[in-house]
Amino acid sequence: MGFGALVDAIVQVGSGGSFLYLLAGILLGLCFGVIPGLGGTTALALLIPVTFGMDSLDAMYLAGGVMGATSFGGSITAILLNTPGTAPNAATTFDGYPLAQQGKAGYAIGAAACASSMGGLIGLFTLVLFIPLAKEIVLSFGPAEFFLLTILGLTAIAVSVRGKLLRGLIAGGVGLMFAFVGSDAITGELRYTGGIDYLWDGIPLVPTLTGMFAISQMLELALKGGSVASTEQAGKVKISGVGRGVLAVFKHWTVLLRGSVIGTIIGAIPGLGGTVASFLAYSSTVQTDKDPSSYGKGNIRGVIAPESANNAKDGGSLIPTVAFGIPGSAETALFLGILVLHGIDPGPSILLYNEREIYGLIVAITAAALGASLLGLLLSRFLVLITRIDVGIVVPVVIGVSLTGVYVLDGRMADVLLTVMMGLIGYLMIRFDYPRLTLVIALVLGETAEKSFHQVQLISDGQALGFMLARPVSIILMVATVLTFFLPIARKMLAARKAEVTE
Amino acid sequence: MRKLLTTSTVVLGTLAGAAWADYPTDKPITFVVPYGAGGGFDTIVRTFAPAVEDAMGTTVVPENIKGASGTRGGQAVARAEADGYTIGIYNIPGLTVAETLGRDIGFSLGEVSWIANLAASKYGIAVKGDSEIQSLQDLCDLGRPIKLSDTGKDSTSSITAVIAFEIMGCDIVNITGYGGSNDTMIAVMRGEVDATLKPITSLAKYTKTDDLRMIVTLTDEPALEGVPTTTELGYPELAKFGLNRVVGGPPGMSDEVIQTLAAGFKAAVESDAIQEWAASTGTQLNYMDPDATQQMMDDLSSFYLQYKELLQ
Repeated sequence: MGFGALVDAIVQVGSGGSFLYLLAGILLGLCFGVIPGLGGTTALALLIPVTFGMDSLDAMYLAGGVMGATSFGGSITAILLNTPGTAPNAATTFDGYPLAQQGKAGYAIGAAACASSMGGLIGLFTLVLFIPLAKEIVLSFGPAEFFLLTILGLTAIAVSVRGKLLRGLIAGGVGLMFAFVGSDAITGELRYTGGIDYLWDGIPLVPTLTGMFAISQMLELALKGGSVASTEQAGKVKISGVGRGVLAVFKHWTVLLRGSVIGTIIGAIPGLGGTVASFLAYSSTVQTDKDPSSYGKGNIRGVIAPESANNAKDGGSLIPTVAFGIPGSAETALFLGILVLHGIDPGPSILLYNEREIYGLIVAITAAALGASLLGLLLSRFLVLITRIDVGIVVPVVIGVSLTGVYVLDGRMADVLLTVMMGLIGYLMIRFDYPRLTLVIALVLGETAEKSFHQVQLISDGQALGFMLARPVSIILMVATVLTFFLPIARKMLAARKAEVTE
Repeated sequence: MRKLLTTSTVVLGTLAGAAWADYPTDKPITFVVPYGAGGGFDTIVRTFAPAVEDAMGTTVVPENIKGASGTRGGQAVARAEADGYTIGIYNIPGLTVAETLGRDIGFSLGEVSWIANLAASKYGIAVKGDSEIQSLQDLCDLGRPIKLSDTGKDSTSSITAVIAFEIMGCDIVNITGYGGSNDTMIAVMRGEVDATLKPITSLAKYTKTDDLRMIVTLTDEPALEGVPTTTELGYPELAKFGLNRVVGGPPGMSDEVIQTLAAGFKAAVESDAIQEWAASTGTQLNYMDPDATQQMMDDLSSFYLQYKELLQ
């Protein structure tokens, strides 16, 4: 099944018209990815009305091009400016930016390009393999599993903040408090809104992310002066490292594979999305490395892990989208809107009646993942120059573009205000050395955690623990959580013992 | 100076008059969607926009103004000029219920200039495909409150479930918080809840594949072969429930403009493109003229007012 449709789709991508749509999608995706605040979600939202008059397969190519290209576009900004171009690129800044500071921006971009292509391919390969099983996968993740997944995510954050456990916990706690603002998903009651209508739907994520990462970083940069790469290194920025970066991905293939698998799995779980995927990939790579202290200072593996996860999640998030019509991410939610607009009914029957479109999309995203990286690499020579631009130019441009992006998203001035406030909070966090990503992840996971726990309690008539212990997937997640928590401690003890022996 | 002012007033007045004469072709009509891109309301607006454009010979631009449970979009329409260049789609009866319960929705539904009703969907109740529950009676005789799945407490289907099961005299626990209506149906398939009450068209895609089984529809006439209606079972008032896609404009729109717009929407509903789209997506088109729409809105207000205490 599906083979004929797959061949059809590949043949069509080579034909003139479709290829142009794909190219247009890639270019749009790269641009939207590079600009902080804008992302695949915005690009697809703008495209929905445009695709209406198009052939459904051409619409898939345009959407696929955008979806495949935004994450690599975003990594360029993350590496060069320490500002994630899209939310999921936040984890790429940890090691990507230090590499750029050391004058190895080309090396990092090469690795990011290759990792996102490879990650995308692995994710799509998994998707094709899992399409027949998609239903079983989606059916085994209920509220209990969702709750435990968020706990696993929160645990991973808590232990990943090396040597700053207390600061990490404080930032995480504040993030959870932010997450609980707005109407309770179960009871509908309003909490902590202070009489402000804007807060009814909670604190929105995009303005928070843009403020926390883009604005605060620009404030830091503006107060420091100079250019992104420190002046003595700016002169020797080598662009020749790109090839070496590409090769590094294959050298560290275990990192690539782990990142891609994590990305695919998280992508397949609705509601978690790319930010969680890339962060989990990063933290698990750090934790399983022999030398965790080398991360955050420019370790190339710290770029490969999140970037591969980020693109692999596109394939994963299509699993519930095609099988159940449940979007696995914000992008696929919009993609779903495009499907509906073309009279395609998402759900179990989509695989029976709309094979052509589904395989068309898969081929389009594959081609986009490769195309975006190739195009990105060709342009990287010029992109690296961004780091040499004086901050006097970079800061106002990035702030202006980010705030415009936030405003364009929903046309709400309050979003812009929130972005600025979050930017100030983020800057203070940089100054006083509190981890910003911990706060953001807690904000992302807090709502799901609270809501799913509430649901589990209702479903199990108040016997939440017993209910969860009777479910195999839940037990696996609980064990994973315990391991995540104790592994770093165990490793530390082991290292201490080893040190004792050698002495 | 005074003369200048007078002259400019006259000129402006003439310009406005000219603009009026050109309605609706001299500038684009903004069609406000109170939810984000990609949802049900967004889809219907974006699908209708080109058909209305064809019918009226003007440009229709959908604009998503989401937030505050769909009230921000309604507020934006209420604040706009009543010149026919800003219209919106409304979540009915969701907003009717919110207003009935005394929540501040930021505008008054009673003042909206109702233009047309585009579509309506009726509800059904479904259980898991291989469930032992065969009928509504079985569902009510579980010996414990029935567990239902829903998106939000204020969602139309959730409100309908609370009132409908109260009328039928069955206890329920409505487990809300699911991400979308698909999620609520998959919750039934996973077996964590007993049943769900959802629009028949949404349930159809899972009943088609036997993942879910419809046990009753909240309609007067049988909607599906072999599935009883609530009217047959002796609860005729349940057929009143439904989800409507209603178009309205700012308070105080002139009758002329309302009729022009209504004619545009009527032609759109009857166009081949919309009929085809409705057939392929299972959407039940149900055009109502401005008077009928106004009447329906009044009926709904008094209908939900009876259940005010139950919902609070």
